[in-house]
Amino acid sequence: LNDRIECEQIGRAGAYHDGELVGAARADFERHLAGCADCAAELARARGLARMLGGMGSPALPAGSLARMHRGIDRLAQAGVVHMAEVMAAVAAAVLIVCMAGLARPAPAQRAVGALPDWEAEVVVQQTVDTPAGGPEELWARWMVQDLSRKGGHE
Amino acid sequence: MENGPLPPTDWELAHRARAGDDGAFHALVDRHAQALYALAVRLVGNSADAEDVVQETLAGAFRGLRRFRGRSAVKTWLTQILVRQAAQHYRTVRRQRTLRLDQYEQAGATASAQGRSDVRLDVAEAMLSLEPEFRAVIALRELEGMSYEEMAEVLSVPKGTVESRLFRARRQLRELLKEYLP
Repeated sequence: LNDRIECEQIGRAGAYHDGELVGAARADFERHLAGCADCAAELARARGLARMLGGMGSPALPAGSLARMHRGIDRLAQAGVVHMAEVMAAVAAAVLIVCMAGLARPAPAQRAVGALPDWEAEVVVQQTVDTPAGGPEELWARWMVQDLSRKGGHE
Repeated sequence: MENGPLPPTDWELAHRARAGDDGAFHALVDRHAQALYALAVRLVGNSADAEDVVQETLAGAFRGLRRFRGRSAVKTWLTQILVRQAAQHYRTVRRQRTLRLDQYEQAGATASAQGRSDVRLDVAEAMLSLEPEFRAVIALRELEGMSYEEMAEVLSVPKGTVESRLFRARRQLRELLKEYLP
């Protein structure tokens, strides 16, 4: 049974090996390393593992792999264009539907004629009314005065 | 003597790709595919899955171009996506962690002798035996040579977590490979 307690700084050996300790921290650890068998052994093991992993070489891309990656990106780009076209078509269709719905509704002026004062209705539907000899402007002015007088809002 | 124009930086290519220049993204693929693939092989253990992971990584990067603000290096950004894709691959596939010699040979690690092949296979096997977060720190440090700060960014964890994970990952890996290590 090995119940010996390891050096509490042993975790720093890896950081030292990786060049992550700088300045005072590095100098402190180097002083500690000189007298600590645990940390010295840990550092040696870290170096051994790094050598081993470094010797494994780097796997090279298989033949045709890069071309497949490029084709994948082309497909994505193409799909993006198609999606954008679909979105634009949907927006255009929505705008068209709204416009057509607007055209199908009765004109606001015609709907509101009954609710308007006489002089306003006359202005709106002026084309359908026979005009006096003085012209429509004279008739409208007369009706405006009458209407405002009825409401008592004219001094 | 007249010098030619300098090749565009990764950031410039990413910026152009963001603006809709697909060619710029293809240039980034040319530049980084090999390194991404090598890392993917370390993380997922075989050539076919590694290629899938890289393809998904590139697709994710292409789709996420608008969100790339250039706060980190393009390589760091791509590596971050790749590590996530590899972890996702691990969770969804959870394939048997065995490597056949032909698979590893296909992955490009050509052996010069049988003994050397055995070491490589055992290293690959040992890597796959590690938990994904331990495998990632070993691959990023020992293969990519990333600093703790870069690893912290890639893995979205504090630097102290990188250091402690690396310490434990090295211990586990050494235990698995003790017959080859002094």
